[in-house]
Amino acid sequence: MSPLFLIQKLKINGVQNFLWASVLLLLALGTCSTSSLAKEAEPLASDEVVEARLVHIAEELRCLVCQNESLSSSRADLAEDLRAQVREQIIKGKTDQEIKDYLVERYGDFVLYRPAVKPMTWLLWFGPFACLLIALGVLLIAIKRRNEKIQVKEFTSDQSHDVGQWVHMQEQKADQFINATETHTKKLKD
Amino acid sequence: MKKFLIPLVLFGVLVLFLAVGLKRDPHEIPSPLINKAAPDFSLQTLTGTAPFSPQDLKGKVWMLNVWATWCVSCREEHPVLVAFSKQIGVPIVGLSYKEIQPQDDPEKKLSPEALLKLARSRGSVWLERHGNPYTLSVMDLDGRVGIDYGVYGVPETYIIDKNGVIRYKQIGPVTPQTLSETIIPIIKGLENS
Amino acid sequence: MPAPLDGHDLNPLLQDPGLVIHPPMLYMGYVGMSVAFAFAIAALITGRLDSAWSRWSRPWTVIAWSFLTLGIGLGSWWAYYELGWGGWWFWDPVENASLMPWLVSTALIHSLMVTEKRGGFKAWTVLLAIAAFSLSLLGTFLVRSGVLTSVHAFASDPTRGVFVLCFLAVVVGSSLTLFAWRAPQVTLGGSMGLLSRETFLLLNSVLLSVATAAVLLGTLYPLVIDALNLGKLSVGPPYFNLVFAPLMVPLLFILIPGTVAKWRSASLPDMVNHLKWIAIFSVVLGACLPFLLGEWSIGAFIGWTLGLWVGLGTLQHIFERALKPGRIGGSFWGMQFAHLGLAIVVMGVTGVKSFEVEKDVKMSVGDEVTIAPYVFKLNDITEVTGPNYKAFQAQIDVVKSGEIIEQLKPEKRRYLSSAMPMTEAAISTNLWRDLYVSLGDPLPGDLHQWSMRVYYKPFVPWLWVGVLIMVLGGVLAAFDRRYRRVSSSGPLQTVAQAVSSLNAQAPSLKDQFFSDQVGNSAHNLSTVQDQNPDITSEHNSSLNENSSPNLNSSGAH
Repeated sequence: MSPLFLIQKLKINGVQNFLWASVLLLLALGTCSTSSLAKEAEPLASDEVVEARLVHIAEELRCLVCQNESLSSSRADLAEDLRAQVREQIIKGKTDQEIKDYLVERYGDFVLYRPAVKPMTWLLWFGPFACLLIALGVLLIAIKRRNEKIQVKEFTSDQSHDVGQWVHMQEQKADQFINATETHTKKLKD
Repeated sequence: MKKFLIPLVLFGVLVLFLAVGLKRDPHEIPSPLINKAAPDFSLQTLTGTAPFSPQDLKGKVWMLNVWATWCVSCREEHPVLVAFSKQIGVPIVGLSYKEIQPQDDPEKKLSPEALLKLARSRGSVWLERHGNPYTLSVMDLDGRVGIDYGVYGVPETYIIDKNGVIRYKQIGPVTPQTLSETIIPIIKGLENS
Repeated sequence: MPAPLDGHDLNPLLQDPGLVIHPPMLYMGYVGMSVAFAFAIAALITGRLDSAWSRWSRPWTVIAWSFLTLGIGLGSWWAYYELGWGGWWFWDPVENASLMPWLVSTALIHSLMVTEKRGGFKAWTVLLAIAAFSLSLLGTFLVRSGVLTSVHAFASDPTRGVFVLCFLAVVVGSSLTLFAWRAPQVTLGGSMGLLSRETFLLLNSVLLSVATAAVLLGTLYPLVIDALNLGKLSVGPPYFNLVFAPLMVPLLFILIPGTVAKWRSASLPDMVNHLKWIAIFSVVLGACLPFLLGEWSIGAFIGWTLGLWVGLGTLQHIFERALKPGRIGGSFWGMQFAHLGLAIVVMGVTGVKSFEVEKDVKMSVGDEVTIAPYVFKLNDITEVTGPNYKAFQAQIDVVKSGEIIEQLKPEKRRYLSSAMPMTEAAISTNLWRDLYVSLGDPLPGDLHQWSMRVYYKPFVPWLWVGVLIMVLGGVLAAFDRRYRRVSSSGPLQTVAQAVSSLNAQAPSLKDQFFSDQVGNSAHNLSTVQDQNPDITSEHNSSLNENSSPNLNSSGAH
């Protein structure tokens, strides 16, 4: 049938038009692959940017009820409330530090998983590094000192032998070694 | 050689700290609001029509007790509070904290007015059954006022002085021992000042 | 209140085979440290800190270390697949309590090498042995006494805490007192240059000990501040990550030079020459991989470079050794496998932390989520009943290039006796990545949507594989033939030992009197040995590997 004829026919019958159009549309869609019909899931959060910031902040905060989880992963009721509060503040445009201060005002330093750097926590934050420097220094000095001591010790006697005897012992042992290796070498060559 | 004593000395210090630590409770979070002004709020009350604010009690020493009908420890504490309210002339204001729990309205269909009505009726029934130590009780349905006060569990109790400054926070139920040893002396001290 | 008919049931989190095996492995590790401790105390008491002590401490320490490694690995793996948030380390006090003995025992194993080979740094090694066991005891105290909040603080009892503290104070206090008394009398051993294998091994000790001290400081700081009445603060993952990682960077770096450096005195130009290609490869690959795999970041660059550095260096070492004649002992394989395993773990951690993708979505049946190149399609959510729980189970098809490669079935369980809701995540795993799906809660509204968390975690399997390889390394090292030989001394060996201790103790004397003769005969022997590797391999290895006893063991120093 010519297209013109079809169009004329469609123009005449109102409701029937609509029904036919719908059927045609559905048929057309049905021939496409099913994946285009399946809906890509929406993100759980209404605003992903805000949510990302919330997670970032909440990961460094401690849940006051569970006390062993961060605020971002805790499922406690109070955690939900506090997350809602933080979300509100992010939307209001507060900075990360302002939000943390807000919570510290109400719950104290306990709520921060990253302790603030203040005189009370200097030992905590700078201790390990200082410890490393001290330990390296001690190691260096220890190696140097013991090398010096060993040089001196070689010629100092211990309690049961004097130097001469000790040297003699070393000579004997070295001779034994030389003999043994030469015997062994001969054995292998044969 | 003195340097070989260092590990022993350090260990001794460690043991001392651990011994002291045994007597402390790591779960308890002291309030940073002690000696700071009690955060202001305006909340509907359990029975009345006019809202209540801490300003209304300026000039008096008073207590704020955080409670809820779903709170098990509150039932332990309640008789102590009821007896105390009769014995001492200090107003006790109840803070009905998050009376409506998520499971009460999973579909989130109830209106704020309906939620308030439900919370009020539940609270009133509970107080009738267990006794009412409160001069009045305010309804903190969403827990925001609780957050402002640093509430992290129920029950908790605050003592607020004549100038509206928080002077003490009791974490957990009020017991006769804490009453006689801590709370009553503090209140007496504040009333005399 | 009457008890439930079926009792209270085991905590659902613990109803898992992975969790059953994790504590026994850890305990084998903790208790195993008592062997090294006992050896150290015995040596201190008798005053005989000799080669026998250092020689025999090592395999026992390695066995305990292997169990500890396995236990920690299992705990992390369990947390990863069971807890539903895809994490595997949280710096919880009890996790730290297991990490600290592990760090110290690693340092101990390496320090024992120095003591065994060169007779040096005995006092330090003894102290490490005492520390490893002490930290095991300290861990017990921290977990059981209730001084710290922890996920693992199942049965906190301050009364029991007093007992454990007393026990800890007595055992560790007396051993440290013994140490303070005896350590000054310990012999010095051989000298060592500033650039030598000994120094590298001792640097290993320093870095691991400082790391342990940092972890201990962070774990106990809240307690210290509270005890001083200065308030309450928390020390969590942000602190530990910031402090621990920078200490591991130099450790991983010196690992490879440490294995190629010569004893007593190493040559820097030689080492640089030996390692330059590995270094170049590692840096170049480490810089390129982050671009290819995702976003470039300085952390990814450092992590990959160090992982490749250790991995390639280890492979080069194995290759070079394989080309030489002679039997390769368990010690060598143990070392290589342990280092290789560590490299794989490092690359795994870097990979997953830098390139993982997480999507938090709401899905109804028919919806799909895409994390390229994978598409996750929700087919159905049904109710299932387990032996002691009821669950909602989602059926998810994982599609790649149009084909369904796997079906995942995450569950949201409600245990009957405890009414505790629990997420049972579903994981699709292969050698390169994990696909992790966690079913959340039904959302209010008419669309019948559920919250769902979908993760793409590349390189996570490398964590578990790497740990297993490390454990294998430990087992191989502990069962080296020399520990199983009944008697290893013949006349040649005794003399060889004598001469090496001569070298160690009085090198200048040796140079003065015997260098030419000793050197020549040794050279002749080695030439003939080289020409006859199969006949002489046993002697060869014993000559090279045997420890040097204290020459004057009968005399006091």
